[in-house]
Amino acid sequence: MEEKNITGEKDLFGFASFDKYESEHIAAPQYSYWKSVWRTFIKNKFTVAVAILMIVLVLFALIQPMFSGYDPLYAPNVTDESMRFVKPCKEHIFGTDNVGNEVFDVVWAGARNSIIISFVCTFINMIIGITIGAIWGFSKKMDKWMIEVYNIVSNVPFLLLAMILSYVLGAGMGTLIFVMCITDWIFVAYFIRTQVMIIRDREYNLASKCLGTSTWTMIKNNILPYLISVIMTYVARMIPSLISYEVFLSYMGLGLGVTKASLGRMISIYTSYMNGYPHLFWIPVIVLALLSVSLYIVGQKLADAADPRTHM
Amino acid sequence: MSNENREVILSIKHVDVTFDQGHKRKLVAVKDANFDIYKGETFALVGESGSGKTTLGRAIMRINPCSAGEIVFEGKRISGKISREEDRNVVRNIQMIFQDPAASLNERATIDYCVSEGLYNFHLYSSEEERIAKVDKALEDVGLLPEHKSRYPHEFSGGQRQRVGIARAMIMDPKFIVADEPISALDVSIRAQVLNLMNKLKAERNLTYLFIAHDLSVVRFIADRIAVIHHGEIVEIAESETLFKYPIHPYTTALLSTVPMPDPLVEKNRKHIVYDPNQLDQSGEERQMRELRPGHFVHCTSKEFAEYEEKIAKMEQDRN
Repeated sequence: MEEKNITGEKDLFGFASFDKYESEHIAAPQYSYWKSVWRTFIKNKFTVAVAILMIVLVLFALIQPMFSGYDPLYAPNVTDESMRFVKPCKEHIFGTDNVGNEVFDVVWAGARNSIIISFVCTFINMIIGITIGAIWGFSKKMDKWMIEVYNIVSNVPFLLLAMILSYVLGAGMGTLIFVMCITDWIFVAYFIRTQVMIIRDREYNLASKCLGTSTWTMIKNNILPYLISVIMTYVARMIPSLISYEVFLSYMGLGLGVTKASLGRMISIYTSYMNGYPHLFWIPVIVLALLSVSLYIVGQKLADAADPRTHM
Repeated sequence: MSNENREVILSIKHVDVTFDQGHKRKLVAVKDANFDIYKGETFALVGESGSGKTTLGRAIMRINPCSAGEIVFEGKRISGKISREEDRNVVRNIQMIFQDPAASLNERATIDYCVSEGLYNFHLYSSEEERIAKVDKALEDVGLLPEHKSRYPHEFSGGQRQRVGIARAMIMDPKFIVADEPISALDVSIRAQVLNLMNKLKAERNLTYLFIAHDLSVVRFIADRIAVIHHGEIVEIAESETLFKYPIHPYTTALLSTVPMPDPLVEKNRKHIVYDPNQLDQSGEERQMRELRPGHFVHCTSKEFAEYEEKIAKMEQDRN
């Protein structure tokens, strides 16, 4: 329509075209879950610093013993009086102990075993716990008897079980891992069961059911992605607590045998020299504390970052 | 339109839904629901909150089991235990649109997954390209863009999310759709858009809707027939216009009197009728659905039926 206005010129205004799809367009950049987790995680400088400390400690503990070749049964300097109880100095960074071994080597070899045990145990506990917990949360039939199993297993005194098993099976890495996995998974399973029950009946799960989705697919795609954050929190608590447990059991003489380096046993031996040579006690304890705390903090921060509510 | 000649797609036969509250206490959410839904119509279920309308819709979706009676879809019983094959057939043919689009979409899945979930479950595609084509088509049908596939539900507006919910149901090519208050969680400005979309899809695909709502003005716009439900009991079923012209049951009249009018003068003079179940016949006679006029059923005793007969005759006279 070409209407003339008063001045006789063509109208400066025309009809704009309307694109119905333009209004549906989303201008925000593409959202990616894991990228957002990463971005949130590295935003905090303190977290990054602790994460670097953690990575350095863990890598050092895993790699250093390969070079030092420390063996608790082998003490080459045991006859050399001058090599015993040397205070930390340039040649001996952490000093030497009662049999003339470098505390530096002892600590890292012990930390290595603690880390390996706690990581392996956490992994096993999580895999078993999450799998069983997810089914447990869905199945009402299973819930009836699993809750009884839980009541029984969770009431077994852990220390007693650890003692009996280590006497029966003999001390060693395998036994320790077995002891720390045999009952612990049920706590993970119980925790996951409760979480699954909370979100099981949410409307989007009903919607999936109406679309004919199987329980397994629902666990995989609807439930577990929501639990990433709480599972990470759990892992962040579990790894340091298992390191402490390994140290505790070894300290009690129930953990690793004498053939394996262990932070717990070292601390227990060094405690007797605490008055004269406090560095023997404090160095392994501080390394243990730094390791536990940094693992815990990084895990917690990762769990926070994994919660999409923090992404906006 | 005479109802006898029409094909029944779904019939609800004396269905009860009860919830066990433990200690032998039972909550009867739906009592003796009994009606047919014809192919190609929009059947609305209206009632106040807590009246059992959603429960009945969910009983059809088999989320809530029926404690008595049966639900028959295309001549086959679908309530209770059915074979796996029939179960899959029912899932494909009966789909649901949920009330709250924010709660009914998986927040951790992309729109691509949300929409193709049904396709994955039933392997309704022969190749990945076909699946993508189907998803694109389903999104296009509801006015969304293919580029939305990689997005997550929280990035969408309420109306867009509800359209994703509709696309997810439509991709299964169902015959019957239970729409559980599909627009009550939406902004007023986009309600019409979703309703029009539903009507458009119905016309294109010859769908049948069970439309659950509490908003009577919406129901009048979309429904062919209306059932009014109160405390789990269906009190009146009639064709849409008949119900609005000749509401018989006291509860229906009370419900209709609550519809707000956009005219302030009319609104000022509007008389609220409060429903009082005590004014019903207290003789203790079992109530049942009785046909007052062809296609117009009321839940009443024989004494009430006579009263209603008088009332409707008077109303018809006044109209003429």
